[in-house]
Amino acid sequence: MKVTEHEADERRLVEAARQDAGRFAEIYEAHFGRVYAFVARRVPTRAEAEDVTAEVFHQALAGLGGFQWQGTPFAPWLLGIAAHLVARRWQRSSGHTEVPIDDLELAAVDSHAERQTLFVQLLSRLPDDQRRVIEQRFYEQHSIREIAQELGRSEGAIKQLQFRALETLRNLVRNRHE
Amino acid sequence: MNDLEIAKLDESVSALLSGHQATQESDSELRELMGIAGELWLLPRTEFRDRLRADLMTSADRRGVSPADVVTPRSSSYSINRGTVLPPLFSSGSLTFPMSGSHLAVSFGLHVVALALVAASGWWVVENRTAVRTTVAELVPSNEDYVMPIAPGPIGGGGGGGDRDKTDASHGTVPRFAAEQLTPPMVVIRNENPALPAEPTVIGPPDIVMPQSDRYGDPMANILNPPSNGTGSGGGIGSGEGGGIGSGIGPGVGEGRGGGLGGGVYRVGGGVSAPRAIYDPDPDYSEEARKAKFQGTVLISAIIGPDGRPRDLRVTRSVGMGLDQKALDAVWTWRFKPAMKGNQPVSVQVSIEVAFRLY
Repeated sequence: MKVTEHEADERRLVEAARQDAGRFAEIYEAHFGRVYAFVARRVPTRAEAEDVTAEVFHQALAGLGGFQWQGTPFAPWLLGIAAHLVARRWQRSSGHTEVPIDDLELAAVDSHAERQTLFVQLLSRLPDDQRRVIEQRFYEQHSIREIAQELGRSEGAIKQLQFRALETLRNLVRNRHE
Repeated sequence: MNDLEIAKLDESVSALLSGHQATQESDSELRELMGIAGELWLLPRTEFRDRLRADLMTSADRRGVSPADVVTPRSSSYSINRGTVLPPLFSSGSLTFPMSGSHLAVSFGLHVVALALVAASGWWVVENRTAVRTTVAELVPSNEDYVMPIAPGPIGGGGGGGDRDKTDASHGTVPRFAAEQLTPPMVVIRNENPALPAEPTVIGPPDIVMPQSDRYGDPMANILNPPSNGTGSGGGIGSGEGGGIGSGIGPGVGEGRGGGLGGGVYRVGGGVSAPRAIYDPDPDYSEEARKAKFQGTVLISAIIGPDGRPRDLRVTRSVGMGLDQKALDAVWTWRFKPAMKGNQPVSVQVSIEVAFRLY
């Protein structure tokens, strides 16, 4: 089996992290987007997505010493942890016990992670007031009323800012593809 | 987009943020904007990302990473549905299983119960050794079971059968004796296509060999035709019951019961009464003896059956002149009150003198 350069780098990174726990940060940075994208699409709330993602990386850190290369990249190992943590939540809420993952799903995770990166970049290009509304609304999950109170604006104005922010982002995405 | 549409957009965003399934918007612009909102909803918070990184580094510093922390989910399967991952007992790395505290407790309990049952059954067997041995001996018959018991009198085993035909069983030979009977002998086959064809047998010591032919029947019967299984019941041939041949009961042959070859005869005396002739017409004189004015007595050996009919007639003292045959012809028509042993009519061997006198 031909080992790609990326896999070789990843393997060196994992080996380094097994020797020095401080190097786990590099693994975290390399895979955070994938794991979060995978989890966020499978749980209903942001809070759950953050809880599961955190648990995935804590378990990965604890289990890294026993990780063995099986001819597959490191990411599926992480997503395997994520899958059964998500399944555990599904089982509690709906009785489902399996979170299937196939090659298409793995490819989608990479695509989702790329879109995450893109939108983080696009967010930085929003005007400050729009960006703050978006962060308050989508990150902090504040209501329009709460945001209005925090920013000292009317609710109607906040709704307008939310609309404009989404419109601006849509146009940026369109322009990127054109 | 007017205020109404903006308000509707916010309602959709609120539904998205609360975790509800977003409705499919009919307005294309609104649909596009909700697509953007969906992407934003899936973005991780920078604050969360940074805080988690700091937490992980703290954990890494506190516990380090050692091979002892073996937690290895399978990289080839993502169907694991429980939290903590338990390493396999006899291998490492490639196989892991989800662990659940409740499952572990149930498994442990079942194993304890299973071991207790094994120990209890062993203890019971030791404590009840004699009872077990006796039970096993009863369940496993030995070959001795097939040895015919010694009969108290001339009538030993026997059997009988029939299928409630209107006519008596027809004459024929008996099938092979065997230790077990799968199919009773039949003269008239009622089922031409049995589900499990098997050779007809009667039960008895296999070393009993009797004349064989391709026509089964009661060897004691006088009727050759029409073929009949007899008036008995339970399969087989005869007037008895139980899958054998004859007037007895059971899968054997003859008048007795319980298998084997019965139909032995008693002799008068010792509790066995003599048969008494109730219909005994005089024999005819042969023409030859009449002309010669010959007189004499023919001695005939006969068996008088429980039905009062004579059989197995045999001249034991002949006088010739055609009188022997005349004597046999006469006795053949006689009828007797059968010999009795207790309350049962039995076959007896008798000698009959047939006297020929000229007056």
